[in-house]
Amino acid sequence: MEEFQPVIVAFCCHYCAYTAADMAGSKRLHYPANVKIIRVPCTGKVSALHMMEALRKGADGVYVAGCLEGDCHFRTGNTRATKRVAYVKKLLDEIGIGGERVEMYAMSAGMGEVFARTASEFTEKIRRLGPNPARVGRDNPGCATAACS
Amino acid sequence: MQKRSEFSNKVLIVGGGMGGIRAALDLAEAGRDVVLVDKSYSIGGLMTSLDRTFPTNNCDLCTLSPRLSESGRQLHIELLTMTEVEEVSGDAGNFKANLSSRPRYIDLQKCTACGECHRQFPGCVRFTPGLDHRAPTCMRYPQATPYAFSIDIDACSDVDELVKVCPAGAIIPDDKPRSHEVDAGAIILALGAEITDPGVLDTYGYGVYPNVVTSLEYERILSATGPTGGQLVRPSDGQKPRKVAWIQCAGSRGLRPGFQPYCSSACCMYALKEAMVTRERFLEDIETTIFYMDMRTYGKDYELYLQRAKNQYGVRFVRSRPHSIDPVFKDAVMTGGLDIGYMPYSSNLPAAEEFDMVVLSTGFRVSDETRSLAEKLGVELNDCGYAKTGSFEPVATSKPGIYACGLFEAPKDIPETLVQAGAAACCASADLSPLRVVQEKSENFPPEKDISGEPARVGVFVCDCENNIGGVIDVKSMAAGLKELKDVVVSETIGHGCSRDSLERIQEVIRKENLNRVVIGACSPRTHEAVFQDTLRKAGLNRYMLEIVNLRDQDTWVHTDNPAFAASKAKELMHMGVGAVRMTHPLADHTLPMNKDVLVVGGGVTGMKAALSLADGGFKVFLLERSNRLGGTAGKVRRTLDGQDVQAYLKTMVEKTESHENIQVLKQAVVVDHTGMAGMFKTGVQVGARMVYRQITHGITILATGALVNRPDEMLLGAHDAVMTQLDMDALLEDNPEGAKALRNVVMVQCVGSRVPENPNCSRICCQTAVKNALRLKELNPDATIVILYRDMRTPGMQELYYTKAREKGVVFVPYELEDKPGVVADGKKLSVTFTDPVLGRKVQVSCDCLVLSTGFVADEESTEDLGVIFRLPRTSDGYFLEDHVKLRPVDLPTPGFFVAGAAHSPKNIRDSIAQAQAVASRAQTFLAGDSINMGAAVARVDSNRCAACLICVRACPFGVPFVNAEGHSEIDPAKCHGCGTCASECPAEAIQLMQYEDDLIFAKLDGLFERTA
Repeated sequence: MEEFQPVIVAFCCHYCAYTAADMAGSKRLHYPANVKIIRVPCTGKVSALHMMEALRKGADGVYVAGCLEGDCHFRTGNTRATKRVAYVKKLLDEIGIGGERVEMYAMSAGMGEVFARTASEFTEKIRRLGPNPARVGRDNPGCATAACS
Repeated sequence: MQKRSEFSNKVLIVGGGMGGIRAALDLAEAGRDVVLVDKSYSIGGLMTSLDRTFPTNNCDLCTLSPRLSESGRQLHIELLTMTEVEEVSGDAGNFKANLSSRPRYIDLQKCTACGECHRQFPGCVRFTPGLDHRAPTCMRYPQATPYAFSIDIDACSDVDELVKVCPAGAIIPDDKPRSHEVDAGAIILALGAEITDPGVLDTYGYGVYPNVVTSLEYERILSATGPTGGQLVRPSDGQKPRKVAWIQCAGSRGLRPGFQPYCSSACCMYALKEAMVTRERFLEDIETTIFYMDMRTYGKDYELYLQRAKNQYGVRFVRSRPHSIDPVFKDAVMTGGLDIGYMPYSSNLPAAEEFDMVVLSTGFRVSDETRSLAEKLGVELNDCGYAKTGSFEPVATSKPGIYACGLFEAPKDIPETLVQAGAAACCASADLSPLRVVQEKSENFPPEKDISGEPARVGVFVCDCENNIGGVIDVKSMAAGLKELKDVVVSETIGHGCSRDSLERIQEVIRKENLNRVVIGACSPRTHEAVFQDTLRKAGLNRYMLEIVNLRDQDTWVHTDNPAFAASKAKELMHMGVGAVRMTHPLADHTLPMNKDVLVVGGGVTGMKAALSLADGGFKVFLLERSNRLGGTAGKVRRTLDGQDVQAYLKTMVEKTESHENIQVLKQAVVVDHTGMAGMFKTGVQVGARMVYRQITHGITILATGALVNRPDEMLLGAHDAVMTQLDMDALLEDNPEGAKALRNVVMVQCVGSRVPENPNCSRICCQTAVKNALRLKELNPDATIVILYRDMRTPGMQELYYTKAREKGVVFVPYELEDKPGVVADGKKLSVTFTDPVLGRKVQVSCDCLVLSTGFVADEESTEDLGVIFRLPRTSDGYFLEDHVKLRPVDLPTPGFFVAGAAHSPKNIRDSIAQAQAVASRAQTFLAGDSINMGAAVARVDSNRCAACLICVRACPFGVPFVNAEGHSEIDPAKCHGCGTCASECPAEAIQLMQYEDDLIFAKLDGLFERTA
């Protein structure tokens, strides 16, 4: 059987994680193509609903990546996001999907390596967990969307 | 008023480091033209090599790089890299400069920084020497501006082959040196400085023992873009060090050969930073030790940083200047270990300790190039090679019309460099022709087409970025496939999407196909969003009807190992982009009409200087002073360290201020209320003895409320006639020199009421004041015995020379610890002072006929608290106003339109206060130049029908912007909103949307990803 290709949605803040992702690119670091980045001005913008909708629509894992503690361009957006991720994790545990499908990461704009490593580790973790049982958006589990289309 | 040029609106800035960039941005935003010249092949200067900066310990690339690209695209800035000044003629207002540019052998318009030339001909491209031997690219740092390569043609054996590898055809093998002639009204020299060469300090073994590195090399080792990819390993054997030592003043504060006599000012802070980052990032069990003479953490909140290093990070401090570094041998082989030999301060016995790695905290020196350029321009330098400036004109050089800022003026850190850059910009613009309307040079955009009610017509353009995208995925077939998506009218590929031809092609298609939305698959929006937004605007579309899909940096560059994955991911990303762009709607940048009047609160030197600078520029200023006289704390100071007469200066300044046609002085004025936003503030004041209320409307607010002279009840101050403060001594020396001359034994105690729990920060002015007064006493009476009890002597920069002079004159300096403060008892008319002598290791008692306490400043808590509440501005824990960014925006307050300068920001002397006053005047002019202010489009908007006035947004906003209005729903002032979206994601009723990042747009991206766009 072909290896399970999870779809991962990464909400990345413009000032740190998104820039770190660009940096990973400019250094030609490899990380799994499973990770799709959505740029937000600040992780403070990512609501619980965004994470839940991503899972409902078909993501197997979601992570939010923002600035290091104390580095938030908007002062406290990343700490709020951290709390929200913790909340969503609890919620997912309660409804049986499992909180480990959602994660919060912090990195600075210069940390291309950290971005690449995080993306790889999270993808591996979700791969081990298997398909998200709750998703409704994809009728063919075990297959990356576009790769099969 | 200074003579103004009749024609030149241009400033020549020499040096593209942080100072030059800041000055250029300030001037450009204020509508001035700038030619920014740098001898290197990309701008950014020294700061781009740093890993992180103090005191935030942030990586700075993320904060610096937007500034650099800002600089790159400013309409008013002409950037000339690899360029030097050959000759300057003329005078202030009418300079003529001849510049020469070395050939880059690269066409900046064509180079996409793909790196192909470097991969195939690594020898032909330039890289930074030193520890950068494995630099990942030949650019100096990953976000270089200009974002292009530079060829070392002499190193290239086969030029023809090199030319062929460039997919963009950007290599010009026969590129020639060019010369330019520039007319400028003023010149700013932001030449920076070199790092001292520790190789000449023979006892430290730099260049002999590989594990002795400079602090800058250590930064590179820590840096993620450095030679070790951010791994802390020592050069000799690639092992992780367990014990790292820093040696301060390696090249500074010394009289021996190889040393500079002055203090380099920034090294204590960066050593603390490096030690803290080392502890934090790498290993808890790594030992960090700093060998120092005085820890000079005198900047704003820097003392707290020192405390953090000590208490939280466990950095060890040894007060001693080591005399030698010797290699450690085992079985006659060098182990890589290093023995530091030193004399502990509190003992007579020599000591030695082994470390795995030693970092030399090297300082700054003036380069020979700088000296010869200064000579060419006729700019006088001081004995140490820095620009000669005055106490009251901190950035004016000896030559009118030429200004100095940053390290060229004296050693200093980044925030102070930026302040001086602003000050230089302020002075330079005073030499130019009066300001014309800014808009004249902005590009002419056609009117925006009304697309309301139109169905979405999406155009998709996929850039191949030559091989960068096109070499990994088949862009043609992908573009063809995207035509199938809903609302997509056109989908085509473009070669080099950001080239002029391609941008014109996009405009043409928009017009021909009547597109109203555009998706561009290309590189990162971080770098190219503005370019493509302008393209849409030129084609008559709203600039926000655009979605940029990051195909290069986040797909094809990453998945070169698996083109199939790269292709499927690219397609998914494009689907997300198309989904999202359909949800976009025209957004207006928030612009507000600008009221060009200025309110300055505080009538001290800072307030008056800011008021005069702006009033001379033609702006109307209201200057509020709460007392009944102008002058502030400077009214109590008689002489500066370099002997200038403060009262004479102040008298002229007060006269100028009170008689200036553009300044209205309101004395005995108290601020009582405040509303509005930048460009349209309304502030209520009560004026005069009868407290008459009046309202002032203004566009800008400058806070220059100063600080209070401290007078704590300590050491018999106020209880014994022979105990006085340094200010009292200053007055005594002026008014009663005979009385001062009669003093035979004087003791001075530093840090009385500063660097203590009640007032934790350093007051900054006291060490230089003590040195100043001690020197004056010695001049009157060379036989006087003067003992100065201090904790750390903080005489940064050229102040060190006065400290050295005081020691030469026989002033005795003895350190004391906070836990062991000197004891003072009255002894008739005299005093008896007891302190521990660290060399003798025992208590010593001296009798003196005068005890002078260095009491410094305390924040004017009452005023800053009131004003903080009225203006809604944050303060530090010790009561000073808190600027927007301690490093990069030192005089901007977080709320747009508010600025702070002088001692209200943190304790400082007159010279530094004047520099800040000029810097705020410069920052203010960036607002005042336009007739309206652009607040951007990413602001939160409340749907009042859904708002339940639950106050969650009010609490969530990091900037305290939302409030519940009279109609009973939340209101968010677009002028104050910073656009983070925190309120939008906290709102339980989903009543708030952040423009540009609306929920439906994010959900559309998810739908696009999961193939439900149709």
